[in-house]
Amino acid sequence: MRERLGGSMRWVSALFALWTVIAAAGSAAAQGKAIRIGEINSYSGLATVYTFPYREGIHMAVKEINDAGGVLGRPLEFIFRDDKLKPDEAVKAARELVGQEKVDFLAGCISSGVGLAISAYAKEAKTLYFATHCQTSRLTWDEGHRYVAHTTNNVNQYIRALAKKAAATPYKKWAHISPDYEYGHNVWDEFIAYLKQLKPDVQVVQQNWPKLGETDHSSYITALLQSGAEGMLSVVWGAQEIAFVKQARPFGLFEKIHLVSASVGNPDELDPLGKEAPVGALTPGFAWYDEGMQKRHPKLAEWVKKYEVRTKKEPTLGASWGYASTYLIAEAIKRAKSADTEKVIAVLGEGYEMEFPWGKVIMRGCDQQAIPPQWTGVVKMNAQGKPVLADIEETHGRDLIKSCDEVAKLRAAAAEKKK
Amino acid sequence: MDLVTQLFPWITNGPLITVQVMSGLSVGMFLFLVSVGMSLIFGVTRIVNLAHGSFYMVGAYLMVTLVEILPERPWAFWVALLVAPLGVAVLGGVIEVGLLRRIYRRDPLMQLILTFGLILVISTLVLLAWGPDNKSVSRPEALAGSVSIAGQPFPSYYLLVLGLAPVVAVVLWLIFYRTRWGMLIRAATVDREMLGALGVNVSLLYTQVFVFGSWLAGFGGALAAPTIAVALGMDGDVLTTAFVVVVIGGLGSFAGTFIGALLVGLLQSFGILVFPAVSIVLLFAIMAIVLIVRPWGLLGRPEA
Repeated sequence: MRERLGGSMRWVSALFALWTVIAAAGSAAAQGKAIRIGEINSYSGLATVYTFPYREGIHMAVKEINDAGGVLGRPLEFIFRDDKLKPDEAVKAARELVGQEKVDFLAGCISSGVGLAISAYAKEAKTLYFATHCQTSRLTWDEGHRYVAHTTNNVNQYIRALAKKAAATPYKKWAHISPDYEYGHNVWDEFIAYLKQLKPDVQVVQQNWPKLGETDHSSYITALLQSGAEGMLSVVWGAQEIAFVKQARPFGLFEKIHLVSASVGNPDELDPLGKEAPVGALTPGFAWYDEGMQKRHPKLAEWVKKYEVRTKKEPTLGASWGYASTYLIAEAIKRAKSADTEKVIAVLGEGYEMEFPWGKVIMRGCDQQAIPPQWTGVVKMNAQGKPVLADIEETHGRDLIKSCDEVAKLRAAAAEKKK
Repeated sequence: MDLVTQLFPWITNGPLITVQVMSGLSVGMFLFLVSVGMSLIFGVTRIVNLAHGSFYMVGAYLMVTLVEILPERPWAFWVALLVAPLGVAVLGGVIEVGLLRRIYRRDPLMQLILTFGLILVISTLVLLAWGPDNKSVSRPEALAGSVSIAGQPFPSYYLLVLGLAPVVAVVLWLIFYRTRWGMLIRAATVDREMLGALGVNVSLLYTQVFVFGSWLAGFGGALAAPTIAVALGMDGDVLTTAFVVVVIGGLGSFAGTFIGALLVGLLQSFGILVFPAVSIVLLFAIMAIVLIVRPWGLLGRPEA
């Protein structure tokens, strides 16, 4: 009996030893219950051109984080849901993720309308929501609350960087073409307000509000041609801006009016435009291929290579956002030493900073808003006849963004309005 | 008069009005090409084909691929413009024979559900086949620039559209009113049972009409490709406008579609000048008015 017991004890301890060896062989790989993040974004239809690279960025960061031991020793896990670009679908997905999947946090959004809808739900459900891809400033400002954090640029910062560039031109008469929805209005309002602040004699001579997704812009183009404007802002984006630029070219619009665009410098527009790209346009963009950029940020080239090996594609701004958002979320949990919502919010309220291969990102405490570096440039043709963003000017969002006091006023005014 | 010129300063601007009319007309012509197939299919088969916009999208994507694989010669564009719609016609044929044929006698709701399902399926297949990136087709060299009209630049590619669409309209008219096949189509819109009783192979006729309607959608997409971005989501955008055109003109009416398309094109282009803030609403307001006054559309026939 004693003999047998001793024998089985030996077996148990041998097994235990073996198990420890196996566990150790798994090295730092994360153990324990996963920290689950419900990610809601548009993974079908027209937004996939942005969301697919963005999701690659998340996958890349999650793999790095989990290979290095996870967050607080727990692996990070994203559960993806398609919102079909609709606020009601997004809220439905959010309910399901919180109710059934029991996720610890919510993340996602590419449409500003969707972002605001998830944020409203998060407030009601007391679940922390990280807005990751949509850009309206209202998310953390007018409509801000403690259960929403914004891990990427907001309109205010990159549009101010762009308006600063526009203010340096000699043009005083301005027009614009903007899609008639949340984002379009937000961008135009921020642009013209800052431009007038920097250059009080600026006038708005004409405005165009096509619907989002309009395919024919000829009537707007002829109206612009007659407007007498010297400079114009284009807020239409993606397929719509490609169509606008292609249609405007034969009318000679950009020879008459200098184009400033909120998005034409991104590869999803520049690459298909090819020879028809609007050379000379001022625009923001993530020009990782730029020599100056790579010199200022020595780690950027390595990151780009890693991304290219992973995906067989060149990175986009969206890819960098997916990557950075994942790390910013992980960092907040790490600092809170817990995945508990209230503890993570406390960390966000204090604010923190992180270094990325493209520079410093500040998570500001007062509004839980990310403040990244800003780049604007000029569209040019490179030696191979391919359009690129050149003459990159780098500033940082902290020198441009509205102050915490201004944000407090915005929130107070919004609360007053609701009464 | 003073008040008018104050309110609408462009009214004395002849060149602006001319160019605005021209661009309105070319928008209308694009719309006609896209909508007429939808109207034709409804007229004969009584199916509201919600996947019509998807056929348009496939036409544009095929155009992208053909222009890419053909050698870079001036004729490549024109060959692609001919072949791309044929691809869509084949797709239409497969869908009619494989799916739609089975539900002609079912509840119209079932037909809507099926064609709506096709939108989702085709959009996913396009994403799988062509990927998420936006695509673009260049205009042919000869039509890349602009011509001067009333001293204003006007894109020469739009002149091609302004010329082609009426040709298509005339050819369609000749087919409908001067050939036996056209006569059968017109007969089918009036009374398909009787046509079948007279020994006409109605089921074959349906397939032919559906294939032809799909070809028209594909042609519209291929022709529009150089003026837009070929991208996911273009199916929904075009479907809404085509639907408005067809409803205004009268579902199934060929001349009605032509008038509806021109009306919508001009409305869009002048709506921007007159009421820039509400130019989107204008379109649907006109549709609502037409539906109230003539529920069957401008040139449609009331259901017997």
